[in-house]
Amino acid sequence: MKKEHTAKKPGWLFRFKSIRTSILLSFAVLVISALAIFLVFSMNFTQNAVLENSIDYTSQLVDQLNADIDSYMNYMENIAELVTSGSNVSDVLFSKNILRRESAKGRIAEQFATVLSTRSDICNIGILGDNGRYLINNEEAVYNEYANIEGMKWYQQTMAAGGTPVVSYSHVQNIVKDSYQWVVTLSMGLKNPDTGDIEGIFFIDLNYSAISDLCEQINLGNKGYLFILDSEGNIVYHPWQQLLYNGLKTERIQEVLDAEDGSFVTKEGDNSKLYTLSRSEKTGWTVAGVAYTNELMKNKEEMQLMYLVAAFVLFLAAILFAALITSGITKPVKTLRNFMKEVEQGHFDHVYIPVYGENEFASLNNSFNIMADRIQELMEANVQEQKEKRKSELQALQAQINPHFLYNTLDSIIWMAEWGKNKEVVLMTSSLAKLLRQSISNEKEIVTIEQEIDYTRSYLTIQKMRYKDQLEFEIDVDPDILKVPIVKLVVQPLAENAIYHSIKYMEEKGTIRITGEEKDGDILLNVSDDGVGMDAETLAHILEKKPDDRERKHKGVGIYNVHNRLQLYYGKEYGLSYESAKGQGTTVHIRIPNTYQEEAGHEQEEI
Amino acid sequence: MSRKKSKAILIFAGAVLLAILTGAVFYLRQKASQPIRMVCIPKVIDEKNDFWMSLLEGTRMAADEYGVELTIIAGKTENDDQGQIEKIQEAIEMKPDVILLTPTSYTEITDAAKEIKEAGIQLVLVDSMLDEHVEDALVCTDNFEAGMKMGEFLRSILETEPVIGIVAHVEGSSTAMERVEGFRAGLGEYENCIVDTVYGNSDYDKSSEVTRQMLEEHPDINVIVGMNEYSAVGAARAVKDAGLEEQIQMIGFDNSLEEIQYLEENLFQGIVIQKPFNMGYLGVEKAVELLRGEKVSKTVDSGSELITTENMYEMENQKLLFPFLDN
Repeated sequence: MKKEHTAKKPGWLFRFKSIRTSILLSFAVLVISALAIFLVFSMNFTQNAVLENSIDYTSQLVDQLNADIDSYMNYMENIAELVTSGSNVSDVLFSKNILRRESAKGRIAEQFATVLSTRSDICNIGILGDNGRYLINNEEAVYNEYANIEGMKWYQQTMAAGGTPVVSYSHVQNIVKDSYQWVVTLSMGLKNPDTGDIEGIFFIDLNYSAISDLCEQINLGNKGYLFILDSEGNIVYHPWQQLLYNGLKTERIQEVLDAEDGSFVTKEGDNSKLYTLSRSEKTGWTVAGVAYTNELMKNKEEMQLMYLVAAFVLFLAAILFAALITSGITKPVKTLRNFMKEVEQGHFDHVYIPVYGENEFASLNNSFNIMADRIQELMEANVQEQKEKRKSELQALQAQINPHFLYNTLDSIIWMAEWGKNKEVVLMTSSLAKLLRQSISNEKEIVTIEQEIDYTRSYLTIQKMRYKDQLEFEIDVDPDILKVPIVKLVVQPLAENAIYHSIKYMEEKGTIRITGEEKDGDILLNVSDDGVGMDAETLAHILEKKPDDRERKHKGVGIYNVHNRLQLYYGKEYGLSYESAKGQGTTVHIRIPNTYQEEAGHEQEEI
Repeated sequence: MSRKKSKAILIFAGAVLLAILTGAVFYLRQKASQPIRMVCIPKVIDEKNDFWMSLLEGTRMAADEYGVELTIIAGKTENDDQGQIEKIQEAIEMKPDVILLTPTSYTEITDAAKEIKEAGIQLVLVDSMLDEHVEDALVCTDNFEAGMKMGEFLRSILETEPVIGIVAHVEGSSTAMERVEGFRAGLGEYENCIVDTVYGNSDYDKSSEVTRQMLEEHPDINVIVGMNEYSAVGAARAVKDAGLEEQIQMIGFDNSLEEIQYLEENLFQGIVIQKPFNMGYLGVEKAVELLRGEKVSKTVDSGSELITTENMYEMENQKLLFPFLDN
């Protein structure tokens, strides 16, 4: 059976020493792969969601910024419209009538004053004619004679655009003497009504800080920033303006200009950036919001860590769960195995597996219990049967000797009665009665040595009367050992044996001597005769079982039976031993342990 | 037995993993929460001085970018050596990772700078150097190159055989010598046309004074070069006072509103300006690189730029000349 099992190659899972390890391992693999997949998916999903959100958020910001800038421009355009709509402006610049010019100048100056006082973000407003006439802010402001505005780009653009308003990129306005300010200029050409040509400009300067403040207010993370380009790619606002000009940093200006409205992500590893763009129809400017993706994911590491910790906790929980489940499975199996080992070794006494619940293990355990019970019952029955068998055998033996002996003895009694030997008849009959009483009344297997000796004495008394001149006997047993228990029918069969096998064949009178003493803690009873004895060959096989049943019948209780019973009862070191030689008589030693004390206790226990 | 063992192994493995994880968390947290600490000591913090404002803006921008915790302290004036020494000691007590210093003196600050190094703090000098090379890195204008730009520019605008007078700041000062040397190199064959070099001790009035004297001694001078802002503006005032704007070509160094206006008027044909923003930015950047253990060259050029009347309102130059938004 075993060989067959080991010969079969088990699956990889069952190569481990215990089912538990197999289950735990497969559980771990399953859980880890599930968690890994979960991690990858959730991280990707989160990353994408964060990016989408950032694009939405940044788009809103840059659109809003663009709208704010547009509203500035609208406002400035409105002012330009307002100022240039009447004839005042052309009167100031181009009219040849001094009076008319001066009154117009007053009205315009009033308008300018109103604008400047209501809007702190407007720093300059003015008109400038090619002919050198000008009005800037108020009548006190002086035109910077070195300003060289013809060389300025914003001026050139305005002149080129005809009468339509133009928005400049950010620049330093040097048009007013001793004033240098960063501004964004909205300007438009002014027509001389006399010539129909553009011969002057109107300009209005928006303080650059109005725009830079707008940009700086917007927060795109610690490192994120905003920048504004005009339609030609000139920087209107960029927090790194100096760094860019100095070549310490670069900006993706061309990419931004080329990109359609929307967003793009640069791939620069840790410095990857998300550009979100918004282009204004009005100014042609592009507002770009730049966010660092690693900042967007700035808790990416933390997030990853959190996911990992969560995964780890889940993993531990799963393994713990698996451990619980497997112990739920393997524990009953192990218990069952242990109990089976007990059974294997023949210990049935305490084999009972407690049965909990109603699952497969419960029914298995239940079956095992029932099986173990059945085996135990069978074994007990077997032992009982053996005992019964021995008892009935003994009884049969006892019953066997009785009719023979009885017949012979009764015969002798009749004979003696016929001869009128009353005295002998009485003695024999009383001895027989004693013998029968002892034999019948006591069904116990164990008797005291005294009882056994008495029984033997009665027997020998009868035999002595039957074989008048042939048999003599002596009994000399130490009175101290009379109370010692002994297996029944041990001494008598040996005496009987001595008579039939030894004394019977003698010419003269034979003597049987029975002695008893305690020696080395054991009880030694000797049955000796001075009969014919036996040869070494017979002596050597005397204690063996005789196959011939008839012989046994003849001899009554066999030597083997006595010896066997003694050994069964007391152990192998006890029993019979023979001493004999041809013509020298025979001595049988009966050795039994002195169980007097223990036997007494045992009896008490039984009661 | 084996079950107990496997359970023990499982628990052990779990504990180890947990320990590693918590360790990693703490490490990352700590790494994130411990920025580089830097103290910047400029010569002075003066809201009206574009040079220092620009330099500090450069340091602030770089500090933001590199996540540096920046503290800025300074003495009262540009010549306050004792004040700066006190500030240096104050800075050492803050136990920063690095100190960014623009020494007020070539000689007086050296001992204090040595103390910085002895305290185990990295030292990056910005703008000016010391008589001993105790610093880990120096970020400044390459004055020879700046001077050369002046010389080369002058050569390109010469109308006649020049007679050149130089107004420098302090005799024997390293920057003055380097700039003058560079200027001579840039002039090439016209080097011999330099007839005089005078020193205005970084003072407007003194510079005007020595310029006047020089003009008296050499009435044929048709080119005057100023080697720093005081020298240039002082010389320009003298030339203007003498009404010699048309006769004399001028080149200046560094910028101020007054100097810019002279440039706008074409009194100066050109000026060479330093890049204080770059100094500040590069100073912080180099300090960070040093602390990261990267190789940093001992001297870093922050650059200079020639600006002429014609190109002064070009976009890049505007930002250099007028670094701030609201004047």
